[in-house]
Amino acid sequence: MQFITVNNLHALLKNLGKDYEVFVPVKRGQNLIYKRYRAESDQGGFSPDIPVIGEVRAFDPLKAFFSRARERVADGFSADLPRTLPKPLCIVGAKACDLKGFKVQDFVFMEGDFKDPFYIRAREENIVIAADCTCAIDTCFCLAVGVNPYPTEGFDINLSEVSSGFIVEPGSDKGRTIVEKYSGLFGEASDAHMSERDRRRKKVAAEVKNGIQKIGVPSQDQFEGIIQSNFDSEIWKEEAESCVECGACNTVCPTCHCFLLYDQKDKGAMERLRVWDSCMIKDFALVAAGVNPRPSLWMRLRNRFEKKFDFFPKLANVYACTGCGRCVSACPAKIDIRKVLQRLVKDGAKQPV
Amino acid sequence: MVQNNPYRPIETKVLDVITETPTIKTVQLRPKEEIAFKTGQFIELTVPGFGEAPFTPSSRPWIKDMMEVTVMKVGKVTEKIHELKKGDTVGLRGPFGNGYPLETFIGKEVLIVGGGCGFAPIRSLMYEFFNRSNDFKKLFFRGGCKTPKDFLYKNETAEWVRRDDINVVLTVDEGDGSWKGKVGLVTTILDGIDMDYKSGYAIVCGPPIMMKFATGKLLSMGFRDENIYLSMERNMSCGIGKCGHCRIGPYYVCKDGPVFQYSTIKLFPDIWD
Repeated sequence: MQFITVNNLHALLKNLGKDYEVFVPVKRGQNLIYKRYRAESDQGGFSPDIPVIGEVRAFDPLKAFFSRARERVADGFSADLPRTLPKPLCIVGAKACDLKGFKVQDFVFMEGDFKDPFYIRAREENIVIAADCTCAIDTCFCLAVGVNPYPTEGFDINLSEVSSGFIVEPGSDKGRTIVEKYSGLFGEASDAHMSERDRRRKKVAAEVKNGIQKIGVPSQDQFEGIIQSNFDSEIWKEEAESCVECGACNTVCPTCHCFLLYDQKDKGAMERLRVWDSCMIKDFALVAAGVNPRPSLWMRLRNRFEKKFDFFPKLANVYACTGCGRCVSACPAKIDIRKVLQRLVKDGAKQPV
Repeated sequence: MVQNNPYRPIETKVLDVITETPTIKTVQLRPKEEIAFKTGQFIELTVPGFGEAPFTPSSRPWIKDMMEVTVMKVGKVTEKIHELKKGDTVGLRGPFGNGYPLETFIGKEVLIVGGGCGFAPIRSLMYEFFNRSNDFKKLFFRGGCKTPKDFLYKNETAEWVRRDDINVVLTVDEGDGSWKGKVGLVTTILDGIDMDYKSGYAIVCGPPIMMKFATGKLLSMGFRDENIYLSMERNMSCGIGKCGHCRIGPYYVCKDGPVFQYSTIKLFPDIWD
């Protein structure tokens, strides 16, 4: 395993900037958000944002760099694939919860008779430099859904913060190529580094575990059948009561993938956009003739949980929740997925499937 | 590397526009690239710059350079489709979905139940049946519309009535002076069909409310759940099982349907909505 100092990491990101558009998490108030990496002050003299490699997941879900919120997918009838970004992307500081999102997004966009060439291109060209979480916040519950607060798969390179730098773990051929190409920037990780990594990982895992216990979040081992056994439960109506139908939960969710094809005229020619959509919004399933399979908000909330905890486990063998807690922090109505799951597990256990 | 883009529409010429009823038109289309479809599959028709909507072609599946879709004016895109003129350019994507399992019906008695705009997919299916009607033991069609003015393909349905390889009864909810046939909902003309319901097959296509009551009636007559085939209508946007709009339980209507056996979907709560 390699080691890189903070200064050399900056040199690496600067070098990667030649081939990639590099995005790093930076602090904005309480949140981390993704910004383009800048090595020097801009023309106005503002010094660059300090990248935050550790801490927790950023506010923006990683999917935003792969199935982007709004992507041009057809220019008129042209057979050429539109290309809307000049360079592939390098996303730094992605966390393990976001990487689990790939299991769902890859299944949706890369499997089946038809594949999404835009998503595939992004997956092939972009690189993900992931990082261990260095703390937990009160919405974190990754361990309940089978995710450790440090990446074990799905990254090109992973960085584990230790004193004076980062342990560097390549996780793909792309990652190994980068480490080889810029080998001068890396040293060997020492045994002391490795044991420090273990210590830090254990500490953060314990923090997450504490949070889970405090709220009483059930483990995914208890999720089987919770949708069917609660299908006609009052839980949905009660939980949906405060929902304001804003769709924030969908937008920030690393596994939500639904989209709308939206056509518009661009200088006389047609362009087709693939735009994120939200299943919580009333018209989501509306049929042109006016029939709506899910006219009530509680039906749409149930549908959202059905998709994550029944559909995906059945079809892709994965519960489509990564424990990132973004929906908990984004919801203006304070609907808390952890508490809904708790109720579903508790009530589901009462009545056998 | 040439990558297939499932979102790209194929440039298509409008050959003709036929007015079927005050709210329904049939658009005759010639795509620049041949499109082969199985009867019961659907396509997405693009009005450039305005959007696209799903339709099941109503034409002969084996004709690859011409396709007809029958469109009721119900929304933004269909309104634009109704404004199309001969010579206009539109787009086509597809075909998508499974289509009718014709092989399953070979040697069997088959009852087709259609209502209103459901005549569109059924016409395409009829072409397949009539092409090889000796392959099927008996064919029945029971079709209904609101009023005699609402019948699609008036000349063709009149011809179906005259054919001897299919037994056809038509009904209208409300008659007028000219209508000599049955009056009443399509469920009222399903009794007394000369077939063995237990071993027979039924294909139902029409508005959701009609499908709901027709299916209920067929079940009470003795048809098996798995022998009733329904054409489900959902808000199919991508057509390729990705966008999430048309999901019913573990199925996507665009990918696993639009034709479903009743037994497959009967347990899901909102299939008729």
